[in-house]
Amino acid sequence: MVKLRAKCLLVGDAAVGKSALSHMFHSDGTLFQKNYSMTTGVDLMMKCVQIPETSDSVELYIVDSAGKQTLVEACEKMWGEVSLLCLVFDLSSEQSFANCSHWMERVRAHCRGTRLPGVLVGNKTDLSTRREVQASVAQEWAESQGLEYHETSAKEKENCDAPILALATAFHSLYQEHRETIQNLSPG
Amino acid sequence: MIESSLASLGATIVVASSSDENHPPENITDGNTNTFWMSTGMFPQEFIIRFSEPTDISAVTVDSYNVKHLKIEKNTSQSASQFESVTEKEFQQTDGHLQSNAISLNGSGATHLRLIITSGYDHFASVHRVSVQNEHS
Ligand SMILES: Nc1nc2c(ncn2[C@@H]2O[C@H](COP(=O)(O)OP(=O)(O)OP(=O)(O)O)[C@@H](O)[C@H]2O)c(=O)[nH]1
Ligand SMILES: [Mg+2]
Repeated sequence: MVKLRAKCLLVGDAAVGKSALSHMFHSDGTLFQKNYSMTTGVDLMMKCVQIPETSDSVELYIVDSAGKQTLVEACEKMWGEVSLLCLVFDLSSEQSFANCSHWMERVRAHCRGTRLPGVLVGNKTDLSTRREVQASVAQEWAESQGLEYHETSAKEKENCDAPILALATAFHSLYQEHRETIQNLSPG
Repeated sequence: MIESSLASLGATIVVASSSDENHPPENITDGNTNTFWMSTGMFPQEFIIRFSEPTDISAVTVDSYNVKHLKIEKNTSQSASQFESVTEKEFQQTDGHLQSNAISLNGSGATHLRLIITSGYDHFASVHRVSVQNEHS
């Protein structure tokens, strides 16, 4: 049995639904805020995820970081060391998807070469008539960035567990990989 | 001066911030670099070594992997609390083999040593062996 610990960075444009999602992760879907209340700094949330078919678990420390352009720089100073990435966009906003590459660049620069497993989340599937980003396009971009793609609706509590489970599982795999590497090392 | 594995000195690990059943902190004291204790995510990570009696330690050697920065604290009390800092060191990154670093402690007497890994070169770091050089035992 192993209990792993990972810090997961939650980023993406303002109002795409990061805080709403992080509340879903945390409260298992009891709390959805209809009124937009902008995150101005970083909020921390903890979620423990059991890895299926093992006795292992991952404690995710989710860092919900403000999306508003003018706040990002100040927030980045509070990110610290990051283990996982959850990049979110709004399916009804082409712009929020286009900006994902800027977010990716910023996060990569922040992590200076450390491999960062992560997911891309297209949120607000409930706004289906206003959809501006096709799943196949998002999926393709995600793959090119080494991210796993998921679509959610924080409002309808749809599929919100999937990205969290994917993140925890990715970290668990990373741990096992490292363990194997270490097992095969020679003495100094 | 003699170099001893911790277990042979009757030293034990009393606290460790991470644990994987398959890689318990006892692997640090067994004198064997093939067995290891591994951190399970995020830094800092620490472990505390308790000596069976106050021991004059001139240096410690740490065999590890992916440790970037290590701080060492000690105390001379019976409980694992109220530590004073002794020294810190930045380790070189290695690829494919272990890091091995000797750290001078100036012969200070201690009943507990606290080793804090404040940062790593990757998500996880491991410690394979800690041995001490003591004046007399
Ligand atoms: N229809 C719909 N609205 C959503 C969904 N998720 C969030 N919202 C709404 O979108 C707005 C913004 O949500 P937040 O979670 O505050 O957005 P954020 O990404 O945290 O924004 P910043 O904190 O400014 O970075 C709020 O009014 C939410 O109610 C969803 O799945 N569907
Ligand atoms: Mg927010």
